[in-house]
Amino acid sequence: MTITLTINGTQRSLECEPHESLLTVLRRAGYRSVRFGSNTGETGAAAVLVDGQLVSSDILLAAQADGHTIETIEGLSVPGVLHPIQQAFIETGAIQSGYSTPATILAAKALIETNPSPNEAQVRDALSGILDRETGYVRPVHAVLRAAAVMRGDDPDQVVVVHLENLTDRNGSSRVGADSASPAQTQPMNPQVVLNDDVPVTTVVGQPEAKVDSIKLAKGNPAFTDDVDLTNTLIAKVLYSPHAHANIVSIDDTAARALPGVHAVLHYGNVARVRYASGGQSYPNPLPYDQVSFDNKVRFVGDRVAAVAADTEEIALAALDLLDVTYDVLPAVFDENDAIVDGAPVIHDEPDMDGAADATHNLVHHLKAETGNIEDGIAVADRVFTQTFRVHQVQQTPIEPHIAIAEWDSDERLVITSSTQVPFHVRRMVAPLLGIPVKRIRIIKPRIGGGFGVKQEMLIEDIVGHLTIVTGRSVRLELTREEEFMSSRTRHPQTITYRTGVDTNGKLTAQEMTIVANTGAYGTHGLTVQMVSGLRGLSSYNCPVKKFDCKVAYTNIPVPGAYRGYGAPQALFALEAHMEDIADALDMDAIEFRRLNWTKVGDPLDIAQQLGEGDQDASVMPLVTSCGLEEAVAQGERAIGWDKRNDPSWRAPADRPHIRRGMGFAMAMHGTAIPGLDMGGASLKINDDGSFNLLVGATDLGTGSDTVLAQMAAQVVGVATDDIIVYSSDTDMTPFDTGAYASSTTYISGMAVKRAAEQVRDQIIERAAIALEIGRDGIELHDNAAWAPDGRSVSLETIALSTLHQEGQHQIMANASYVSPESPPPYAAQFVEVEVDIETGQVTVTDLVMAVDCGVPINPLTSVGQVEGGMVQALGYGHCEEMAYDADGRMVNANFGPYKIYRSDEMPRLEAILVQTMEPSGPFGAKAIAEIPKDGVAPAMRNAIADATGVRINDIPFTPERVWQALQNA
Amino acid sequence: MITSYHRPGTLDEAAILVTAPRTHVIVEGAALASSPSEQATAVVDLQSLGLDGIEMSGESLEIGSMTTLADLAKSPLVPAIISDLANREAPSTIRTVATIGGTVVTNDPESELLAGLLAFDASVTVAQADERLSYSLESVLDDPQLIEGSIITGISLDPRGAATAHRTGRTPMDRPIVMVVGHKDTTDHIHLALTGVDSRVVVLSPGQTDTLTPPSDFRGSTRYRKELASVLTERVLADLSGGGSQ
Repeated sequence: MTITLTINGTQRSLECEPHESLLTVLRRAGYRSVRFGSNTGETGAAAVLVDGQLVSSDILLAAQADGHTIETIEGLSVPGVLHPIQQAFIETGAIQSGYSTPATILAAKALIETNPSPNEAQVRDALSGILDRETGYVRPVHAVLRAAAVMRGDDPDQVVVVHLENLTDRNGSSRVGADSASPAQTQPMNPQVVLNDDVPVTTVVGQPEAKVDSIKLAKGNPAFTDDVDLTNTLIAKVLYSPHAHANIVSIDDTAARALPGVHAVLHYGNVARVRYASGGQSYPNPLPYDQVSFDNKVRFVGDRVAAVAADTEEIALAALDLLDVTYDVLPAVFDENDAIVDGAPVIHDEPDMDGAADATHNLVHHLKAETGNIEDGIAVADRVFTQTFRVHQVQQTPIEPHIAIAEWDSDERLVITSSTQVPFHVRRMVAPLLGIPVKRIRIIKPRIGGGFGVKQEMLIEDIVGHLTIVTGRSVRLELTREEEFMSSRTRHPQTITYRTGVDTNGKLTAQEMTIVANTGAYGTHGLTVQMVSGLRGLSSYNCPVKKFDCKVAYTNIPVPGAYRGYGAPQALFALEAHMEDIADALDMDAIEFRRLNWTKVGDPLDIAQQLGEGDQDASVMPLVTSCGLEEAVAQGERAIGWDKRNDPSWRAPADRPHIRRGMGFAMAMHGTAIPGLDMGGASLKINDDGSFNLLVGATDLGTGSDTVLAQMAAQVVGVATDDIIVYSSDTDMTPFDTGAYASSTTYISGMAVKRAAEQVRDQIIERAAIALEIGRDGIELHDNAAWAPDGRSVSLETIALSTLHQEGQHQIMANASYVSPESPPPYAAQFVEVEVDIETGQVTVTDLVMAVDCGVPINPLTSVGQVEGGMVQALGYGHCEEMAYDADGRMVNANFGPYKIYRSDEMPRLEAILVQTMEPSGPFGAKAIAEIPKDGVAPAMRNAIADATGVRINDIPFTPERVWQALQNA
Repeated sequence: MITSYHRPGTLDEAAILVTAPRTHVIVEGAALASSPSEQATAVVDLQSLGLDGIEMSGESLEIGSMTTLADLAKSPLVPAIISDLANREAPSTIRTVATIGGTVVTNDPESELLAGLLAFDASVTVAQADERLSYSLESVLDDPQLIEGSIITGISLDPRGAATAHRTGRTPMDRPIVMVVGHKDTTDHIHLALTGVDSRVVVLSPGQTDTLTPPSDFRGSTRYRKELASVLTERVLADLSGGGSQ
């Protein structure tokens, strides 16, 4: 049928099928800013304006829009000009991955056009349909309010870094004002930084610069994998297992192959059996190698059975229906503790199974580490405390699902464009599966619409690769939201037991952490996530004797993998709940008890010697080299109003007799990259006009790492950030990088960039010395020029033109790479305020404050965005997110809503504070910030519930019935 | 699979179209657009029939079936609690296309708006090929076949009286595990409607919560939901004894 739409002021006639959604038709017509996040409107990524009203275009038939006016963000996007809303989104740091930014900006436009002076609640309501997994909504809300002000003709204040007064001398011996200062009532728009005198003054580093990619994202320009426009691309769909555990007896694909429009059907019967581990990790990938592209056994509901490539999605789906699969259904096991006992169903009984500790008992790994003899430490303790905790399974849920497109290029090399965090690992890992050498494979990572670890996996690239090899055609595979939930990756559930000895002074004498971890059907990140659990769970506090024992179990749940925090959120939930309860039992203030034991500058990180992944020097004890925790605690106490908890009228409001209020605290300590393993590379070259191309293998997931890396380069070579053109990443074009994980990009890739830039700086100075007819000493680069001590200068453009075209011609450029022997820990103080309904168990989180020591924040604006967004993900972990299953292992809430993530109109107040420290090993003093916001919310929330009600709950999430049941049992 | 799309210009034309086999009315695009069945299906779009609008007719509030939840949420004629429930029913990207008629047809057991309409003892007007009929909303939800082959044209209710709602969910805007809405009409009769305690929204009289046997799922067990029904009903009744929220 033909429909007529007026799109962005232009009338267009478009062909469509009656069943096609407006989303499908708009994207086909070239409006690539309208993005897929779901088929049922639940993400809002596809929102457009229909007759001025915000509508998710994935729930509207295109035919329903016939005759109507449609606005997409392309209508706002004039080359070289930004709409005030787009400008406000850039200035406030409201854009992270940018995947849903067009929809959010359209929501703002619809609101402001009907209400030029919206209040915050009205803005939040307007954005309520667009799920944001990245920002915590703080900056988008500020952006809309700012845009409205500008459009009214107001002149709002510029976004600046607010410098907060130090409240301590940073070693705990004195404290100024923490108890008397008033907490903030609103969510700060400006990034807040507590300065440190040890940090040198810089002009670009440390500034709240706009993101280098913000204009294309604000305009909705084609940038993502889904925006790759290939003609004659086949559509791939995958048949997933309906059973949690079954042998595939046979697959009859005759009817599917006979269906017109079907070009390939792949399954265990026609794809080579090559074993691999899917986790995107450095060579050699950790064992076990327990997967093949298509197996004759399925191990969870959602496991791969077969894949089809066809002319259209409808044909591909029809072909899947025609596959006749005979299963021999086997008993399944879902709980990690049940899986490792005698008699449990054996999940990996295949004869070529490689690398599990004891596959016959579903034991993938048995990890052990110990510093001293744990029983000696227990024996000298005055009190011994033992507690067991259970943490559950959640999913990363980036709004952009997994998507990959494979094609042959003109040199007959396989090009895979993929939304991946690890393009270089994918290239190396996919090669043996496809049976072609690495040199014939190119992986391109376009813009990524969020990852959070779920894309640190070689998950679907082999499927499109196989299908392209078989068909000779380009093939595209994009997961639906349900498929993303059921078949991608998740966070590991664990059962964690702590046993801790404490002496009469409150000092720890021994700490033992025992974990039974659930890695689901495949090992993938099962080893390293659990190592990080041990590392983080036994590094935060000084203790003379520590012991770690961890069994990693196969089960028949969907596969856990990497998820922001990577084992730390599990460990720190248990640890910080345990420490809280010990303090309570000792009748000590919970923060004072922690302070007595927490690590400080100079303290050893002893367990790291045994639980590090990388190639470390075992003779060197890692030490804490910077720590801002004391100041962070003081700032957090001030910001949340910690003293309120001592006011009985606040704790039990008289007008709401069923409400109890409380506050909780948790400290967090994370790592910065994997020492001796994570490697980043960078290449920097000058252009004719004195600008620079920076090529990095690092992958910006939306975190702003491209911007941070550009700022570092700009600082060194004396230019503005926008004089650095960043390209990332492409295995043919950019230097190697292990990828975006382990909180490594700023620290590792940043140091590579800094070193490359320093080499370039030296080359420029050499040419400047010639031009200025002086020696090299004393020449400085700033303001796009090289400056002599006497005030004369030569511009970088002049130097570039000279070296490229005139004299002693050569390309000023440099490559550098970096691997760190250290992993300096960032620290954070997390505070949570809650209201608990003691009759129903409902918990309402009213305030979240996190003060973070991330070393020197290279860009305070993107840094606070990381903290705000991370805290909200962490809030979901502790409060409302959970993957729920029926008795047969089928996920019953595989869509947003039933799987509950926070939306804009139900958020608590959020506040992030950056506490500067000068980390000597980091580029410009930087440490990591991306993952630590995930660590403290769940335990602080748990401790706040305990503060409010006296009830201590050792399982998450804190759903109403769980809290109610605990109150009933109290 | 949707294979044909119709946008009739008159109610009579629509009433004839919907009598054809495997033909459904699009009352909100979501369900049909996202759940194509294998069989060829025709859909009928009522957007051109002028069935949207909100007006008072005497003491009755008349709401066209194609009135969107967004319009319901901002209309000054609509009782405040119904506006609030309409706002809660769907987020900003969906309430602009979801309609009150669609809410009735979908018959979601967790629909807060449907509970509100039941508490106000709303009635449903439908058009068939040759007649116009009116049923109580409760009877339509009890027996959806009453309106099979019909087109819902409007919802009507008496907006007077006091009303309030209490709910328990995982987060403030979560679809509640259990929600209770109460309406005290002009005769001081109290109507209660509850979500999350049965396979559809139920209407109860005060004191009847003991008779419930709610379903169980991962968000709430039978025992818990029953407890919530009792606690939340007490809160609603306490509010209404003090005048309620409106």
